[in-house]
Amino acid sequence: MPSVVPGSVIVPNWHRCAESKEFFSKILHKRKRRKFGLLEAPVLPPHMNVDIVRYKIFISGKSGVGKTALAARLAGHDIPTMHYETTGIETTVVFWPVRLRESGRVLFFRFQLWDCGENALRRFDHMLPSCKEQVDAILFLFSFTDHASFEDLSNQMARITEPTDRIVKLVVGTKFDLFIHTDVTESEVNRFQEVWGVPVFCMGGDVAGGLGEVAPLLNSLAENLWHQDCTAAGSVPPPTQTEPGDATTEIMV
Amino acid sequence: MLQAETIQILCLTATSGVPLFSRGSSKQLPFSVIGSLNGVHMFGAGQNTTLSSCETDRGGRVMWRVFQESLMLIAVSGNSATSELQLRRLLENTWNCMVLVLGLEELGNLRNVERLKRELRACFRLIDRLLGQDDHEGMMGELTQCADCLLTPQPTLLQEALDAFTQAASSEFGCLLVRGRVAAATEKWWRLAPQEVVLLSALVRSLSGMSSCDYPIYLPHGSPTVAHRLLRFQLLPGVDVCVLCGPSPSLHQVESELVGCFWSPLTETLRRCLEQGERCLPPTVNLHRSTLALLLINRETRRSVSVCAPPRASPSPPDTAVPLLSASKCWELLRLFYVFAVTRYFSMEESSSTPALVDPPLQEDFSQGFSHSPVHCYLVTDECKCYGLQTPQHQLYLLMDLTVPTFALRSIATQTLSTVTMAMGF
Repeated sequence: MPSVVPGSVIVPNWHRCAESKEFFSKILHKRKRRKFGLLEAPVLPPHMNVDIVRYKIFISGKSGVGKTALAARLAGHDIPTMHYETTGIETTVVFWPVRLRESGRVLFFRFQLWDCGENALRRFDHMLPSCKEQVDAILFLFSFTDHASFEDLSNQMARITEPTDRIVKLVVGTKFDLFIHTDVTESEVNRFQEVWGVPVFCMGGDVAGGLGEVAPLLNSLAENLWHQDCTAAGSVPPPTQTEPGDATTEIMV
Repeated sequence: MLQAETIQILCLTATSGVPLFSRGSSKQLPFSVIGSLNGVHMFGAGQNTTLSSCETDRGGRVMWRVFQESLMLIAVSGNSATSELQLRRLLENTWNCMVLVLGLEELGNLRNVERLKRELRACFRLIDRLLGQDDHEGMMGELTQCADCLLTPQPTLLQEALDAFTQAASSEFGCLLVRGRVAAATEKWWRLAPQEVVLLSALVRSLSGMSSCDYPIYLPHGSPTVAHRLLRFQLLPGVDVCVLCGPSPSLHQVESELVGCFWSPLTETLRRCLEQGERCLPPTVNLHRSTLALLLINRETRRSVSVCAPPRASPSPPDTAVPLLSASKCWELLRLFYVFAVTRYFSMEESSSTPALVDPPLQEDFSQGFSHSPVHCYLVTDECKCYGLQTPQHQLYLLMDLTVPTFALRSIATQTLSTVTMAMGF
């Protein structure tokens, strides 16, 4: 599925608007991201009439590329200072409020990020099917400091997904801050985007950027997932003009 | 050779002495030292003696241990305050971690050493946790090999929910942890080897940021060659429930179909457990006000509760002669007193199920010269007064502040033991 033009479905950079504050405050606690257990969700007064939509996202990429760190980054957790192999499946829940452009409705996206170590995937057969079970989106990761991981992208995309899958696909380049050691050039990235029609995001560096740093990726995920669901529900004539209106609640997963 | 305070773990192949990994210190020991440590052990073996530990003249301590006749672990401490017992536990726990993550077969496969080296990296997270000090705060299990428990005001409610949840997940092994301590566990979970229960708690603690996990694990005693799946769900930050499963059900399935429906009704109860905090006893159990810390072990069930209650800055005029002890200091003293008492006077709870792991007794064998075995012991230091008490079923280690008269320790300890055991049926 071709990806959506950024900002066509949801309000871009909404986290910078003053009116979004009361929503974003629900995912913050003492200026850091709030931690939610599985039994919890952002507490919203009923008059706000905000729905929570749930999606499962699988993070795929070579060993050491930074899958666990990306999940921590998106969730606003402390990024591990040391690299450890992930020896199984770990999931992380991220809540993210979004305002739909057309209707002005606010939705809370609940992304559950699934991260699985490459060695574990290889050693145990049940892992990959488990990660792919009812998955809505896949983030394909490569590291800017490892050219092989970039070359491996197309392989991975072919191996894990099938053309008929109804899955949102995005590519994330990690360790973008280590530009001195960068191994992947801008033109290579641009060419990849053109050939595959999949947007590429760059991540890395300090988390001091706060929400601003993760907003482009989370917004794009939300936008593409919402668009995919709307298309599936038949409420949207392709490609990017959205008319979610009343049809929104039935298509929640 | 090593900075004080640091402990390093080395792993080598037992027969050829090829170094496989080293963890613990940022400054690795020079290769020549590692070689000598291995060499001196090998020399001993050549003379039909087993070198198990030694002290260096600069206050260091080294301990060797060969597992499965294939791998050797060496613990090196730069600090003589690290007891032999602590090092021994560290080596056992490290080995168990390796089995937990990789399984016994993988560890026994020494034909491809480079491959094994790569595979062993998967254990580093857990091993580093064992070596790290901050995570240990208040956790005694890795030392006592008894599960750290939390006694809640409504145990039956949680127990019933856990039993039902575990069964619904097609498992018999379920456990509810609050801040890393066992608040409830199914009968089968308690039948796991105590070391396994302790290790699984440590594993769950190490995953604290995640919402849920599906980890393949081998049980070092129960199932060292066949992997099981540990499914863990973070119900609230600090409250985790886990089950041990076979190939099904999937993580997604349990999470979407079972977690909410079994645990949502108990959200408030779980929150109250969290509020108990470091105190592993319900608020209804009153301890003597001079109690600094206590460790109570149930020797039959191999469970323990530990409480740290350092004095808060009191309204009374500050007594400058006695500085207040911090919580971490209290934990440290409690740990030291446990080691002191258990290596000198009391018996240690070694599991008999694993003959391979039975060690020569630790050096201090006070009781050998006596026809009786001590049931009480006490120790007065500059910082606190300690009292230890042993019954057939329990061991109590109590730390009191210096204001308590020494002659009162015994009755306070006896009283404390009966208060806690009576009130909680522990």
